[in-house]
Amino acid sequence: MKLVITDLKDFSISIKGEHRIIKPQGTIHPCFGCFGCWVKTPGQCVMHDGYENTGMYMSKCTELILISQCCYGGVSPFVKTVQDRAISYIHPDFVIRKGEMHHKRRYQNVIALSAYFYGENITEQEKKTARNLIEANADNYDGRVKNIYFYKTAKELEDILL
Amino acid sequence: MKIALINGSPKTKNSASGILLEDLKSHLSQKAEITEIKLQKTFIPEEIAAELKTMEALVFSFPLYVDGIPAHLLSCLIQLENAHWQNREIYIYGIVNCGFHEGVQAKYALEILQNWCKKTELIWGGGIGAGGGGGLANMPSTKNGHGPKAPIDKALQAMADKILQNKRQKNHYVSVAFPRFLYRIAAQIGWRQMIKANGGKTKDLGKRPEEP
Repeated sequence: MKLVITDLKDFSISIKGEHRIIKPQGTIHPCFGCFGCWVKTPGQCVMHDGYENTGMYMSKCTELILISQCCYGGVSPFVKTVQDRAISYIHPDFVIRKGEMHHKRRYQNVIALSAYFYGENITEQEKKTARNLIEANADNYDGRVKNIYFYKTAKELEDILL
Repeated sequence: MKIALINGSPKTKNSASGILLEDLKSHLSQKAEITEIKLQKTFIPEEIAAELKTMEALVFSFPLYVDGIPAHLLSCLIQLENAHWQNREIYIYGIVNCGFHEGVQAKYALEILQNWCKKTELIWGGGIGAGGGGGLANMPSTKNGHGPKAPIDKALQAMADKILQNKRQKNHYVSVAFPRFLYRIAAQIGWRQMIKANGGKTKDLGKRPEEP
């Protein structure tokens, strides 16, 4: 299953195969750092606003696709809020991978992470930050990076097939 | 000199971000006019945004969330980028605390803040990536320069000196002076105590709930 997290309300990109799309619908509340998704309701965010199950959806996916405006070399606030609220995908305990501390796996699936950034004035430095950030995300999910692309407008993305 | 210490943690109390700002303040307060601001929501009230524009330095202190800036603070930064800044001779500093032992894991969060400075045309003053942030709230208070926080205190002292001189620093990555394997064990004991306090069992930490 492909899991798409996007800030595009009017999402009109073709996707091959089974998929789920998380996009702006209603109000999303930002993570407030309670760790409830680890120590109260493990695996699920404690805020029930329609975005509490992303960690579970991630456990079912083979590919996680972020489609986002590039904000200073990172994703947009909506996509970041969904990511911040989905740390239940991983386990609170620590492991050492590649010589660094990371969180242990909760699930067995290995995520291939892709990012499609769009924005009129993405600088070379921002592209560099974005590439490194997605690599770091993949390390923390104990997955791998598949694709990282940059587009000038969201409209250009309508020609691709995910 | 007018300096704003901005706590970007969404937590209402006992945040590591706040502890680090308190420590920084102890190195600054005799020589500067300090304003303390909390940004816990996705929006900055207009009067706070106006106040920030009157400062000579802004210090953002926040936790590392998924290798980056917490989403609510990112929304605030976008709002500030689009604000009208009459004076752009303002130095921006960042202090990122991360739950991992290695402060260098805050590298990309600091880069994002630096990239924001570039877009907003403010002056990037440099940052600190502090590893072991998860333990800061539980550490006994010690004199500056002593105990597990000593390396972080030293980095904060150096940053304070730069702020007061209107100078930049290279990003500085530090960790608590506490062995990584013990930090890992202490954290894992903490998670077990927390889940038990919530009526759960240790094995529940690894639950794999089915989607509804």
